[in-house]
Amino acid sequence: MVLYIVRRTLWAVLVILIVLLLTYAVFYLMPAGDPALRFAGKSPTPESIALIRHRLGLDQPWYTQYGKFVKNFFTGDEYGWPGLGYSYVNGVPVLDQVKERTPRTLLLIAGAATIWLVVGVSIGVLSAVKRRTFADRAAMGFVLFGISAPVFWLGLMALFIFWNKLHWTGGTGYVPITENPTGFFSHMILPWTVLALLFAAIYTRMTRNTLLETLGEDYIRTARAKGLSERTVIVHHALRASLIPIVTMFGMDVALLVGGAIITESVFNIQGLGWLAITGTLNQDLPTVLGVVMLGAVAVVIMNLFVDIAYAFLDPRVRYA
Amino acid sequence: MQPARRWVAVSIAALCGVAALTAVLVSAASAEPSGQSAKGGTYRVGWESSFGFTNNFDPTGEYLANAFAINTNLLLRGLIGYNHVEGPAGAIVVPDLATSVPKPTNGGKRYTFKLKNGIKFGPPVNREITSKDVKYALERMARPKNGAQYAFYLSGVIKGWEAYSKGEAKSISGIRTPSAKTVVFDLTAPTGDFLLRLGMPATFPMPEEVAKCFEGKPGEYGRYVIASGPYMIEGSDNLDISSCKTLKPISGFDGQTKLTLVRNPNYNPKTDSPKARENNPDRFEFIVNSNLEDIYAKVGAGELEDEYATASPKVFREYSTSPSKRKYLHSNWADGDYYITMNLTQPPFDDVHVRKAMNWIIDRSALTKAWGGAVSGVVAQHIIPDTMLGGRLTNYRPFKTPGDRGSLAKAKAEMAKSKYATSGGVCTDKACKGVLLITDVRSVDKLLLPQVQSDAGKIGITFTVRSVNGAYPVIQTTSKNIPISTRPRWFKDYADPSTFIDPLFKGSSIIPSGNTNYALVGLKPSQVKALGIKGNVTNVPSIDKQADACAKLIGNARLNCYAKLDKTLTETIVPWVPYMSAKTVTIIGPKVTKWNFDQNAAFTALAHVAVSK
Repeated sequence: MVLYIVRRTLWAVLVILIVLLLTYAVFYLMPAGDPALRFAGKSPTPESIALIRHRLGLDQPWYTQYGKFVKNFFTGDEYGWPGLGYSYVNGVPVLDQVKERTPRTLLLIAGAATIWLVVGVSIGVLSAVKRRTFADRAAMGFVLFGISAPVFWLGLMALFIFWNKLHWTGGTGYVPITENPTGFFSHMILPWTVLALLFAAIYTRMTRNTLLETLGEDYIRTARAKGLSERTVIVHHALRASLIPIVTMFGMDVALLVGGAIITESVFNIQGLGWLAITGTLNQDLPTVLGVVMLGAVAVVIMNLFVDIAYAFLDPRVRYA
Repeated sequence: MQPARRWVAVSIAALCGVAALTAVLVSAASAEPSGQSAKGGTYRVGWESSFGFTNNFDPTGEYLANAFAINTNLLLRGLIGYNHVEGPAGAIVVPDLATSVPKPTNGGKRYTFKLKNGIKFGPPVNREITSKDVKYALERMARPKNGAQYAFYLSGVIKGWEAYSKGEAKSISGIRTPSAKTVVFDLTAPTGDFLLRLGMPATFPMPEEVAKCFEGKPGEYGRYVIASGPYMIEGSDNLDISSCKTLKPISGFDGQTKLTLVRNPNYNPKTDSPKARENNPDRFEFIVNSNLEDIYAKVGAGELEDEYATASPKVFREYSTSPSKRKYLHSNWADGDYYITMNLTQPPFDDVHVRKAMNWIIDRSALTKAWGGAVSGVVAQHIIPDTMLGGRLTNYRPFKTPGDRGSLAKAKAEMAKSKYATSGGVCTDKACKGVLLITDVRSVDKLLLPQVQSDAGKIGITFTVRSVNGAYPVIQTTSKNIPISTRPRWFKDYADPSTFIDPLFKGSSIIPSGNTNYALVGLKPSQVKALGIKGNVTNVPSIDKQADACAKLIGNARLNCYAKLDKTLTETIVPWVPYMSAKTVTIIGPKVTKWNFDQNAAFTALAHVAVSK
């Protein structure tokens, strides 16, 4: 097991380095012009542009800049560890930006993930067990709606109805839980629900299908033949095996949302990591983009690792050499 | 200053089909500039997407219009300032830190300022502002490593600036501080707008004990700005300035999502004029919001008082059609131009008759409507906005056509005079075919481009269009030899015509990268190789001598000189097709009891707003 984790960690480091290299390449290939011009003012002089290029390190070859970034990442820089550099667009160290935005995104994901997992798996199980009943049809209707409704539309509608008209929830924006717990929940309940809806729909469908497949397996028939209760058969035998693909997907979904909940973050003005990434890209703020990409890549790798380990606990047939 | 993003927004209004209503709206908008003053409350401004500061709010290098407004209205005080009101009165300099606005001596080359007593820096510096703080701020600007983006306005103007900038002198010889309350400026030549140049926040006094910690780190002082005005960044009093190592960013500005200002306890209103600053709200909050619709929803619901954002068609429709909401919509002159630029070295625009023909054929009315019509600006016929010439060229319309829709007959007549092959006034020469045109990818570009293509096509000019996301770096690189672009716009840096003339048309302003003299007016043969210019570079016209002559003048003579220069450019050199003089659109919330426009900053006069609690 330890060897397996070490091997996977080494692979993870390699993946992160490749991701960063690709991000660098994309920025250098972008035809948007010299980023130094952004900071040079309306009427720059060649000297001032050269100074800015030097300050941003743009006068060095890309591989030198890349090497310096990787080195700083592992050894830290003047702003702390890991060294993510300085955002010249926002005027703050990237590490500070990431520290400021990460709780927003993680709390958004945590709340939404809890909802979609509970709702999605529960409805999926219900739908599979009550196959071809009204409950099954209703569940599939929910799936269709959840998958079809775009997040931005759902978000705006939710805000219009529950904040603007009914005043049941707080509006947009992020209230730190440490400052005002009530305000935090009041502002997060809508983004949690909206973000969770799409995933809940997918998880419902996924749970239903895998559970139906599992219920048709020989060992389920054997369990029933042994006289086990239907509840035990479903919960302890069928559902446990059915959870493997769900866990795989859950790990990946959560990891991807670390930098990918952009629409939800923008509609609800949460301004987490996704929003940071998108504004960084639009502003050609390479250090910020690299910081978020790095974090996203690490999240994907770590979640993958967790998922692999979780397999062993869910399925006794899975063992690591 | 960097043009406000909201201009992009206005284009959308055209889609609403409310052109007729906008005229009504404009008059309604300017009808309620004042209101009831009341102390207290919080004035909240929704800010779209990100602050977008050009130097992270560090006054030395910051030039975003809104940052100018925040600095000059609320946070900082300079030797001279403005009364922060709308129109010409808003462009007149008044004493701020200085006891009076000095008259130049020594043949217009010396300015002596006396500083008022009893004006202190805000916490935690808490000491009297002296002449040395003024000198420190200016020398900080002069050191290139500090990224001062407006240093060019003082370089070569104040004696000894360049030598200091190059490290050849220990201080700027043209700035003397004979006493703690006296500062003397010696100039290299009479400079009529010198006082206006000192009105920019980069020149405002700065405490060395804090700012020195950010030497060579452009922008980093932005989160540590020490107040000298009526407000300070919230949390300034907790800043530990005992050493550079103990400095931690002020909590009220995180550089990304919020900027909060509260009253500066060291501010003494007796040292200021209520005409310049009323300081009504107790608190200002500038809040970044990623959801555009949400900003306007909150303004409408009274959860925000003001906005710096891009209004949607729905918002424009709502505020322009509802009688109860019209009073919340304001449209004010922004002292800026939108124009089509033509490169004097590139065929077919190397022929003045072709450039004139373009001015005759372009439907300026349609292009202005594409931006939203009267609410966003009016048709422009010449270079410098009327508002900056004291109305001297208000009726000057050298390419006047009925309804400003262009004239095919006059355009053809002009084209027939060109050196290019024509038939019936339509260019048949291959130089007129497939001319490279650079535009951007904004929604308004999709409205502007077909109109320009259609108009130019009538006189035989066709384009190869390149739509570039963020087109400025392309058109600002001289070696790309771009013949024509519909992208440019320009706004004043301060209320003087020289801010239009010098960077846009002087030969000395042409640089290889970051060039703003797109037309290459005044290009000299000696510059051509270094700039990578390929084209017709012989006999490119120049206005350098006229511009230099105007720069020395003051008062009416100065404005008259620039008005004449404008005519020369518009009719004789013809580098542009100017088509719209721009306005700033602002939507305010129902809790605002007093509002005015700051003409200098082209933004809300934050010094005069009031809000109900």
